[in-house]
Amino acid sequence: MKSLFSRVVGYLSVDHPSAGLKQLPTAVVFLISVITVLSIPGVDVTNATFAYAGIGGMVLATAFSAFVSRLDHLHRWAIIIPVIDLFAIGAFRTGTGAAASLFSAMIILPVVWIASERGRIHILIATLGTSVALLTPFLSGVGHPTSISDVFRGTFTPLVFGIAAAIINELARQSRVQLAAIREISEQNEQILERAVQYALQIKQSEAKYRDYQRMFRGVWAAVTEQSVIGTDVTGLIDAWNPGAEKILGISALEAEDKRYVFEFHRGDELDARARELNYPPGATVLNPGFSALVESARTGSAESREWTYVRADGSQVPVELSVTKRVDEDGAISGYLFVATDETRNREVAKLKDEFVGLISHELRTPLSSILGYLELMKDDEDHPLSDEQLQYLSVAERNAHRLLRLVGDLLFTAQVESSKFPLDARILTLDGIVRSSVESARPVAASAGITLVEQIDPQPLSVNGDPLRLGQACDNLISNAIKFTPRGGTVTVSLDAVDGRAVIAVQDTGMGIAASELDQLFSRFFRASTATRNAVPGVGLGLTITKAIVTAHQGEMSVASEEGVGTRFSMTLPFADISPVTPVAITAGAGPV
Amino acid sequence: MSRTVVLADDDSDIRALVAIAAQKAGMEVIGQGVDGDDAWELVQALEPDVVILDVSMPGKTGLEVCRLIKAHASLYTTRVLVLSAAVDEGSLAAGMAAGADHYLFKPFSPRDLAAQLSRLEERA
Repeated sequence: MKSLFSRVVGYLSVDHPSAGLKQLPTAVVFLISVITVLSIPGVDVTNATFAYAGIGGMVLATAFSAFVSRLDHLHRWAIIIPVIDLFAIGAFRTGTGAAASLFSAMIILPVVWIASERGRIHILIATLGTSVALLTPFLSGVGHPTSISDVFRGTFTPLVFGIAAAIINELARQSRVQLAAIREISEQNEQILERAVQYALQIKQSEAKYRDYQRMFRGVWAAVTEQSVIGTDVTGLIDAWNPGAEKILGISALEAEDKRYVFEFHRGDELDARARELNYPPGATVLNPGFSALVESARTGSAESREWTYVRADGSQVPVELSVTKRVDEDGAISGYLFVATDETRNREVAKLKDEFVGLISHELRTPLSSILGYLELMKDDEDHPLSDEQLQYLSVAERNAHRLLRLVGDLLFTAQVESSKFPLDARILTLDGIVRSSVESARPVAASAGITLVEQIDPQPLSVNGDPLRLGQACDNLISNAIKFTPRGGTVTVSLDAVDGRAVIAVQDTGMGIAASELDQLFSRFFRASTATRNAVPGVGLGLTITKAIVTAHQGEMSVASEEGVGTRFSMTLPFADISPVTPVAITAGAGPV
Repeated sequence: MSRTVVLADDDSDIRALVAIAAQKAGMEVIGQGVDGDDAWELVQALEPDVVILDVSMPGKTGLEVCRLIKAHASLYTTRVLVLSAAVDEGSLAAGMAAGADHYLFKPFSPRDLAAQLSRLEERA
């Protein structure tokens, strides 16, 4: 966008006027001269040839100037025009009274043009041009110098004109320099203006965005009604209190902000206990020790989530899951803390109900199963009325299915325990070979009837871990029975026990149908069943691997799986070796034992 | 003379099953309780050699009855076997803490129960 100022300056530029415009004054004055000669008596043509040559020259120069004006690439030839003008004026003078001609003054016009052009050479051109125009009558032989003054005029006048040309040339040069400077400044101004406009635009956009964020933030802040969000400064003084906090803690933002400290809403004994846990010596912190305990993890960098009890305004208590994070200022220094809490009352009730329900279901299912299995056994053991082989086979089917149901009940109960973190481990120092061997042995009949070769590769050195034999056995059983289920007849299941990198690794490798890579992540989730399992109608409910992983994790171990569809799968459990420390074994036999 | 047994379970089928197992172990079932209070009355009245108790029963639980038996002077020779549908180690420990001589998880094998009863008898 060009400013009006620069447009005006551009128009006034000495370089800017077209050749036609520059020629105009000369042409007009020349025309007046011609009209004067024709109309005023006493001003006569003395030599028609030169007078016409002069007129012709002027017409040519003027026509050329009009031509040059339209064609930019001829512009550098425009200097010819005033030179022709000088010749034309010289000729016209010669034709209208020679040295005594009235029209010598016209010379000044082309001289001004020439002199104003860029370069000192134009001073010389102007001077020479003037001399030629003045001396044409004598040089052409039409007139003769009659006195010394004529000769003097031929040299003195060009000299004066030369000096005038020099002055004009210099003035033009200076004016060009000034114009260039003005133009540069004007361009800079323009750029600055443009940048300023852009900045203004950006600020406007940022402001709009900021207002959007602000609206968004206010909306979110007001929408969070189920979580208490409390902001404090570094001392714990509350400076933000959302509607959720009002709902959970029973007082309004007006009553809490800048008036209350966040630790006033905590149970003192919990804060003390946490402070002791963190080894705060009494009175060692400047701040309230309870508050320091509350924000310790957040202050040292890690966001923390743990269970606390909030004390409401009316004194009642609310169990919450509380996340504490730090707030930082522009320099990264801690400016306060954010406390986001979720009311856990309902969750706790649900968890309790679930535990009770699972316990009840487990009990109620096990009791009838006890009868079924007990009476089946009585029938099989009845020596007075022995059963036929066929009858015995029917009973085995019933018995097998009752056991299957029992396992399912056990799995469900165990999964519920894992979820509520009430998963009992009866750990002791034990060697793994016995556990793996017994799992393999108990799987042999099933493997044999499924036409699968069961291979056992056990490291001969005893590998000791600290673990629950029953649970580890259950984990091995799960993996082996899975492998058998998922391997077609004629396949092989290899169970190995090795020491790898200072840890014990139990691996179960099959030549089965494999698991899709996309499903490997979900494999350990509750009730997940691989597509290969459902496609091939392999029975199961999707709890085995969840349980196996929970057992391994509870033993500080890791569970991993590698699989290729159509080739096979390898599950491995990695367990840390035992720190040899005395453990009292529990010498209790447990009947049929937990399932 | 065969040893005497009092058993208690709120499920009649289980009671019958336990009774058969006790008879297989050569014992005489002299009382069957349908709940904890019933069981405790029978035990006090009959002073059997062995008491078989289900843990979760209406009224007194099996473990409560077990504790009463173990605290009762005239019952110091009475052996107690506890049956439970709870499978975790915690309930096993609770059973042992109540003074039970043996603890059996449900479902149990009548054959195993008979064997355990014979073993208890030997110890007695």
